[in-house]
Amino acid sequence: MREIVVALVGNPNVGKSALLNAIAGADVKVGNWPGVTVEKKEAFLKYKDYVIKFVDLPGIYSLRNQTTEEKVTIDFLLKEKPDIVLNVVDATNLKRNLYLTIQLLELEIPMVIALNIWDEAVEKGIVIDYKKMENLLCHPVIPTSAKDRYGIDELVKKLVEVYENKRFIQCEHFEPQFEEYLKKVVQLVKDYKPVLLDVYPKRFLAISLLEGSLNETLQKELEEKIEEIRQEIKSLYKKDVKTLIVEERYGVVLSIYHQTVKKQQEDVVDSSITLDRIFLHKYFGIPIFLFLVWLVFEITFKVSSPYVEWLDKVLSVISSWTLSLLDSVKAPEVLKSFVAEGVLGGVGFVLVFVPVLFTLYVIIAILEGSGYIARAAFLMDRFFGVLGLSGKSFIPLLLGFGCNVPAVYATKTIESEKEKILTTLMIPFMSCGARLTVFAFFVSIFFTDNKGLVIFSLYLIGIMVAVLVALILNRFYFKTKSQFFIMELPPYRLPTFRYVINTAWSRVKAFVVEAGTFIFAMSVLIWFLTNIPYGAKKDETILANVSKQVAVVFEPLGFGTWQATASLFSGFVAKEVVLSAMGNFYVGEKIEEEKKNLTFMEGLSEIGSGFVEANINLVKNFVAIFGFTKQEQQEFDKNLASAIREAFTPISAYSFLVFLLLYTPCLATVFAIKQELNSYRWMFASIAINFTSAWIVSFIVYNLLKNFL
Amino acid sequence: MKTLKDLRPGEKAKVLAVEGCEEVKQKLYDLGIIPGEVVEILQDAPFGGPIKIKVHDYCLALRRKEASCILVEESK
Repeated sequence: MREIVVALVGNPNVGKSALLNAIAGADVKVGNWPGVTVEKKEAFLKYKDYVIKFVDLPGIYSLRNQTTEEKVTIDFLLKEKPDIVLNVVDATNLKRNLYLTIQLLELEIPMVIALNIWDEAVEKGIVIDYKKMENLLCHPVIPTSAKDRYGIDELVKKLVEVYENKRFIQCEHFEPQFEEYLKKVVQLVKDYKPVLLDVYPKRFLAISLLEGSLNETLQKELEEKIEEIRQEIKSLYKKDVKTLIVEERYGVVLSIYHQTVKKQQEDVVDSSITLDRIFLHKYFGIPIFLFLVWLVFEITFKVSSPYVEWLDKVLSVISSWTLSLLDSVKAPEVLKSFVAEGVLGGVGFVLVFVPVLFTLYVIIAILEGSGYIARAAFLMDRFFGVLGLSGKSFIPLLLGFGCNVPAVYATKTIESEKEKILTTLMIPFMSCGARLTVFAFFVSIFFTDNKGLVIFSLYLIGIMVAVLVALILNRFYFKTKSQFFIMELPPYRLPTFRYVINTAWSRVKAFVVEAGTFIFAMSVLIWFLTNIPYGAKKDETILANVSKQVAVVFEPLGFGTWQATASLFSGFVAKEVVLSAMGNFYVGEKIEEEKKNLTFMEGLSEIGSGFVEANINLVKNFVAIFGFTKQEQQEFDKNLASAIREAFTPISAYSFLVFLLLYTPCLATVFAIKQELNSYRWMFASIAINFTSAWIVSFIVYNLLKNFL
Repeated sequence: MKTLKDLRPGEKAKVLAVEGCEEVKQKLYDLGIIPGEVVEILQDAPFGGPIKIKVHDYCLALRRKEASCILVEESK
């Protein structure tokens, strides 16, 4: 079987991913382009004797080699040399889309053009003579619609046909005189640096040399000769080359457009413009946005929580089965502990994120696919521009208050690499739900009179540190990058159910495979640290010994004991385990879950009834989003409470909480950052920033309070 | 000289040139804001936020700072 590599190229928001989904089904692989934060999607399709490999390139407006997306695209097209470019074009927005098409033709790769969103064009009364367009562009044009799978089979057939014919016809569609200049440049390259012609397509080379945008060093003579041509063009056309090239391209586009497109009715009332009158309303726009964000938050966490509980139950059943199995072969205690806590515990850490991430990805796919996310950026730009961010950062940051892990993955909606990095580094400072349980416990011991105020102050410190970190990074790290905000507001569209589910599924799969492996491995490692030597006293394990050495670091913060240090170590894995770890270190008792011995059938029925219960809870939670429900009061361990009362003063307790708030939230977040930013460097930077700021702020807080209270 | 920033929602204008803002000039060009093209201001965000314009057949958002680099002539 031979492989045909097809690269999907097109503007953002033209339904490229949806088309890929329609062609290849659910089997889309999600990853990252090497070295950058841009998402990479690949899919395979068997057709006749071929395997067609589709590579979805990032959405771009031009081939200018400036943005990350453009660089990734050009790099792939020139270096990997795909067999065919599949240019996906929005049939309802042809002028701007064809501008990229004209540029793609300059790359001299066989091309097929998909006139996508055809159904909407028909609905809007736009009549496109695509056969004529085919002649004018010298490449096949096929109307498609991912929504009702229109034209998909024909498209695939055409791709194979183009591959078998292996022909490329270059249209020379610029002004004849200008075409002559391009030929002159090519001749110059032949004379001075012919090696360039092996690397770059002729037309692309000539144009980028004239524009001065080619990333190659040239001999002085060649550079001078090209400059001469530039001057000649300038005096002939009375404008500089760059402007002229853009105008020539648009000239071609408009000429094709006017020859092939007819609108039956002029200016039908566009539903997108009407919807924007509501969603972007000068005074109601922001309140509507805040309401929607609140809804996203509630749905993400409330829809997923019953299933998280259910998965918990499934795991405990599996662990009880495993333990009985181990018992029956008389396995030693240490092995039982390792399997139950190390291995199954690790699996649990990964699995609990699956429901919340799946829900989040569904919501994100809807927000992105519908076009609303761009409106969020528009509305909040005024407030986030100061921090060097756009409004798109708002949703991830807010989700951070629920859980940092989905928050990091929610930065998928941010295209700008710089904004994405900044937002990701800010997220860990957003105090998540797991931290709140620790706060609540401490506050109930030390600050019974003003619980709310103390917890509120912690949230506020988190936000202030995040803002400060953003300002500092902007001032000293990203200083070279200039800021502007020019963004398309795509038409509102209803994403298909299929697309939403498939996208969410591929992304969750990528999480389980990548981050999941890491988190699992680390949790096994942590088991060793806390349990070896096995059966040793609580202050003789590896972790306790290391903590005794490290504790001195926390001396200036008011809590330089090995127990506090070891608790912070455990908190690095996940904040959920801090309290149970503290019980272990301070009281020496493991807060054991009741272990039941279940037969196989009992386990199954437990899992089954748990699932039914989860679905009932889902409905209850949905009702709760819009109604009023009372928060359940948590029960705290009495022994631990008195031990903590002994070990901390109110001031050192507050300092401890500040540290707990600001340092790395959990392993899962760490690996989410690695996966989403596609970089170990930023992962370590994030950990370093969190620890440093945690130490500094706790130090300041502790010493201020100690001296002034 | 009038710029896009001086227009109010509902007004239309013809682009004459893009001046200043060298770094965004090419980007604006690529997005179809070229001399001779007619653009229409559709909406503006509160508190001096970005504006929403229509160019060719689609909508574009940009900050007022960028809008002030687009020289225009009011079209009737």
